[in-house]
Amino acid sequence: MRELRFIQAINEALREEMQRDEKVFIIGEDVQAGTFGATTGLVQQFGPERVMDTPLSETAVAGAAIGAAMAGWRPVADFMFADFMWCCADEVFLKAAKWHFIHGGKVNLPVVLFANIGGGARVGPEHSQCPESIVMHTPGLKLAIPSTPYDAKGLLKTAIRDNNPVVYFYHKRLGGTMGEVPEDEYDVPFGVADVKKEGTDVTIVATSYMVQHTLQVARELEGKVSIEVVDPRTLEPLDIDTIVKSVQKTGRVVLVDEDTKRCSITAEIGMQIIEKAFDSLDAPIERVGAANMPIAGGYMEQYVLPQPKDIVAAIETVIGRKLL
Amino acid sequence: MKLGKKELILLYTNLVRARKGDEMVVKGIQEGKVVSFYHSGQGSEAVGVGVCTFLRPDDYLYPHHRGHGLAYVLSKGASLKAFLAEHYGRATGMTGGVAGFHGVDVEHGIFGGGGTIGSQFPVSVGWALAAKKNGRGQVTVCCFGDGSSNRGTMHEAMNMAAVWNLPIIWVCENNLYAQFMPIKDAYAREDIADIGAGYNMPGVVVDGQDVIAVHEAVEAAVERARRGKGPSLIECKTYRYRMHSEGAPDIAHIEPRPPAEIEAWKNRDPIKLFQKRLVDEGILKQVDIEKINQEVQAEVEEAEKFALDSPQPDPAILPTLLYTQ
Repeated sequence: MRELRFIQAINEALREEMQRDEKVFIIGEDVQAGTFGATTGLVQQFGPERVMDTPLSETAVAGAAIGAAMAGWRPVADFMFADFMWCCADEVFLKAAKWHFIHGGKVNLPVVLFANIGGGARVGPEHSQCPESIVMHTPGLKLAIPSTPYDAKGLLKTAIRDNNPVVYFYHKRLGGTMGEVPEDEYDVPFGVADVKKEGTDVTIVATSYMVQHTLQVARELEGKVSIEVVDPRTLEPLDIDTIVKSVQKTGRVVLVDEDTKRCSITAEIGMQIIEKAFDSLDAPIERVGAANMPIAGGYMEQYVLPQPKDIVAAIETVIGRKLL
Repeated sequence: MKLGKKELILLYTNLVRARKGDEMVVKGIQEGKVVSFYHSGQGSEAVGVGVCTFLRPDDYLYPHHRGHGLAYVLSKGASLKAFLAEHYGRATGMTGGVAGFHGVDVEHGIFGGGGTIGSQFPVSVGWALAAKKNGRGQVTVCCFGDGSSNRGTMHEAMNMAAVWNLPIIWVCENNLYAQFMPIKDAYAREDIADIGAGYNMPGVVVDGQDVIAVHEAVEAAVERARRGKGPSLIECKTYRYRMHSEGAPDIAHIEPRPPAEIEAWKNRDPIKLFQKRLVDEGILKQVDIEKINQEVQAEVEEAEKFALDSPQPDPAILPTLLYTQ
């Protein structure tokens, strides 16, 4: 099968959906050039009315997208860095999330709030966050968080077609990764986790770039411990059934997410596992996440973000023996 | 459009509807029937009525939050029954009784009523953008108060709307106070309308107690927007008779609002001013005034009965309102 870079898969999804539905448009700062390549080349095909460069105004970008969505359009608002969505928190967490409800269900908000997340670029505390926990915590927002080019394209197509607000987070370190992407039309449904690797000893639930870390660790430990890697792909809706099924098989769980560990999505998923599959657990659940401090920049970043060695240590804890 | 007798009487009737409807919600608060809070709009009805009475049904409106938009939404075609029912927490309310007080009516292009002051600006840009993309000559009217003008959201939204030449009319209801904060201590100039110049759009000041003055300013701005000439800003100088919200102290900072100030504004009551003008011009007679009063009184009482007779929402609908299909 053909291979594409992650960012190309995103670009292809945008192009196909804009071709399919003239109501779809992109709005954001420098989307015509495409700061990270996601929207590059689209203005040449669809024109500046559908690939709208905006003033540096996150609040107005979000408001314009949400308002246009309420009036029947299907915008994709690109915020570049997810950190910048803090600037328009009212629009994201109050308006997008609650206005279907506040209008008694009589308006829809088919808007995609699109941004990159995560560290690895060593660009400091306000360009490196993984704010998935606050999104997952907010009723009314769906959250797609792909880890492969295939999922990136398929989830984005589903996001654009969804009649509800969808936050779409892609990790900045995934942009250049290669993976198989079919040329034929497909989508990836929300709420369906994907078992990225089958195994029998430990279930690791990982998201986004942490899926890549986890698969690398699983390969390195092949023969010593059999790891099953489950990627939820969307955190809202969350496919807890697939996770529970895996836990029932392995009895041991490590949860890996790059967001600050305290109150992170792993806390929620871990608790749901306890609620639904406590009797299947042979060991306490281990969690891996960023340290409880700002994501440091420069050489200090690595000491804050979760590393493969942290995943190994967590696996060793749940199985009760050293592996390396 | 030169207003004929019919249109003038409609404006007058809407003023009376807004006042009596507002009085009914205040009464409902006092009697413990309203399950939400209320921010009375008595005294400033000419703004909402003058802005909205002659908008098109498909124009988008973010009503001003004072009076929970009552003068605006009634004038744009929304139902007083649904407005009262929402405040009484009933299933027949504007949002089905699930949002508490938001004066929305999607069928009449009335969105919003958000909880955060200043959040009306960015989403209104979105409706104006949609209006432009739709290409049907729609406009968006975004209403705000003097307090809202202190928010940074206003800058982003006015700038973007100006750059994109969007069909939007920004209407400020300057009633001199943001809750307890006097405008003179929150804004460095006299007129909020001056802000228009910074965004390359007309900014005009009108007497917010004069429904005709408001109507004429809005009509000119709407006409301009429909012709593709872009945004306008209208500042309506007005006042609120009552405290910020029912039950709150009626103060400026920590002192009572000056009684002489309140009295002076009550002497320029928008209903009395317009009534006198219509009587002087021979358009209304005393008998007509009484007839309108009676009809509106009947409408308000019927609306209250409708609200009180309506059931509370079925809690089973709550999960269905999180997402649409």
